[in-house]
Amino acid sequence: MKTKKIVLSESELPRQWYNIQADLPTPLEPPLNPATKQPISPEDLAPIFPMPLIEQEVSQKRWIDIPEEVLEKYLIWRPSPLYRAYNLEKYLDTPARIYFKNEGVSPAGSHKPNTAIPQAYYNKISGTKKIYTETGAGQWGSALSFSCALFGLECKVFMVKISFNQKPYRRIMMETWGATCVASPSNETNAGRAILANDPNCPGSLGMAISEAIECAATEEDAKYSLGSVLNHVMLHQTVNGLECQKQMKIAGDYPDIIIGCSGGGSNFAGMILPFVRDKIDGKDIDIIGSEPTSCPTMTKGPFAYDFGDTAQMTPLLAMHTLGHNFVPEAIHAGGLRYHGMAPIISHLLVNDLIRAEAIPQLETFNAGIIFAKTEGFISAPETNHAIALTIREALKAKEEGKEKVILFNWSGHGLVDMGAYEAYLNGKLSNHALEDDKIQKALVDIELLPKPKQFRK
Amino acid sequence: MNKKEETITPPGDDFSIRCLKLGHQIFFSYCLHENNKLPCFKILDCWHTYFQVEKYLKETLTQNDWEEAFKKPRKPKILTLVELIEQAKKSKKQEES
Repeated sequence: MKTKKIVLSESELPRQWYNIQADLPTPLEPPLNPATKQPISPEDLAPIFPMPLIEQEVSQKRWIDIPEEVLEKYLIWRPSPLYRAYNLEKYLDTPARIYFKNEGVSPAGSHKPNTAIPQAYYNKISGTKKIYTETGAGQWGSALSFSCALFGLECKVFMVKISFNQKPYRRIMMETWGATCVASPSNETNAGRAILANDPNCPGSLGMAISEAIECAATEEDAKYSLGSVLNHVMLHQTVNGLECQKQMKIAGDYPDIIIGCSGGGSNFAGMILPFVRDKIDGKDIDIIGSEPTSCPTMTKGPFAYDFGDTAQMTPLLAMHTLGHNFVPEAIHAGGLRYHGMAPIISHLLVNDLIRAEAIPQLETFNAGIIFAKTEGFISAPETNHAIALTIREALKAKEEGKEKVILFNWSGHGLVDMGAYEAYLNGKLSNHALEDDKIQKALVDIELLPKPKQFRK
Repeated sequence: MNKKEETITPPGDDFSIRCLKLGHQIFFSYCLHENNKLPCFKILDCWHTYFQVEKYLKETLTQNDWEEAFKKPRKPKILTLVELIEQAKKSKKQEES
């Protein structure tokens, strides 16, 4: 019988996180405080984060020990299994060998607790009594609620009102773990009250929910704030996944030619790839791809059309207006891997050509999710479907080329609380709007001629 | 003779796409007012494959609103956090005085 899944013993759980900052070919530029024009200091962040997390945010140490108390909690679901997707391979009739890491086995159903657990722990040992955060659909809010419950911390989640109404089960999950979940904008903060005074029916936004959470954390005694993506320490904690994966691939006797993850805010993608990026820096030939929605394919296909708007090289200037093109929006900021909600570490790897991005249209992602559910059984979170869709593309390409590629992708979470999106897809509600492929193709031809911005000049 | 300009009708609330920020399906009318009644800064990016969103917004937004929504450079997240901390402190001080 062939081995379907590779499960590490508990003693093989990694004892350290990997910090890519130690190995980057060029260092990350620290963001500047707009008021002082100096790099952001630990004191700037101290009102909302405990010092151990701030230290990790700027640390250049390659390996950082995982505290025993965190390891104990990780053992609830870690090490997570690595699967060989035999049924998907058979369905696609591909010579590719496909592996996926199942991060959906955590109690919250996703990779998010990999950082929520250590964040709760470092807050606990720093004297924090209550943690505030914001959430949209609730994946992060539920992960933090679960983690705070394990460490006996209070947790309050400002959930964007439209999400609060649309995703009641996530809210109930948070409450089950003992957190308080409030629809944002709320009457509990100055920020919320000001918004409601202006618009009592405001459906909220992530920006508003962040303002409320920060206001509470920055002004209450013994309270702090927690963020589930973007920041360096979040990426650091997530590497426990990629480090396990390296051990499991070794047991499988394979090494990935291609690694794929979906790249929303960057944390699940980073967790899987960063240890492998180190291998790539050391000379391994790996194609590492972040899969993103077809928000603007010209961003992923034509990054050379852009320059950056800040010294941290994360926010591109508005380059497209020079084209006079009537399709590509002149004021587009940036898509996927370059938008400001993306982790600076991931943007930096992209600029340094260590990873790349591909955009996938909505219908293709759901179709991939259905194929995966029918072959491998698991129902994926819609974000995760982006990674599956790209894996299918690469597996079919391998078939076309007759190559035995090894593909590894991150199955970042289950979709059992996202069935509404599947229902819309299955009822054809997502399929009535045809994509304007001809226009996309024309735009891509246009930007081929553009000069490279300075970051890309060799 | 000039071809008659077509009126652009955005998708209604029966059509939704995945919101990268919120993590669930969302409809156009939400994105149109997501940023304190102004459009979400990602609206052009997310909706351009479904209809002529840029043209529609240029026809319906004032120049000021357009610039406010799309022309301001985005800040790295960590700077946003620092600014929010400062705002919260100021607001508390005002409340106390």
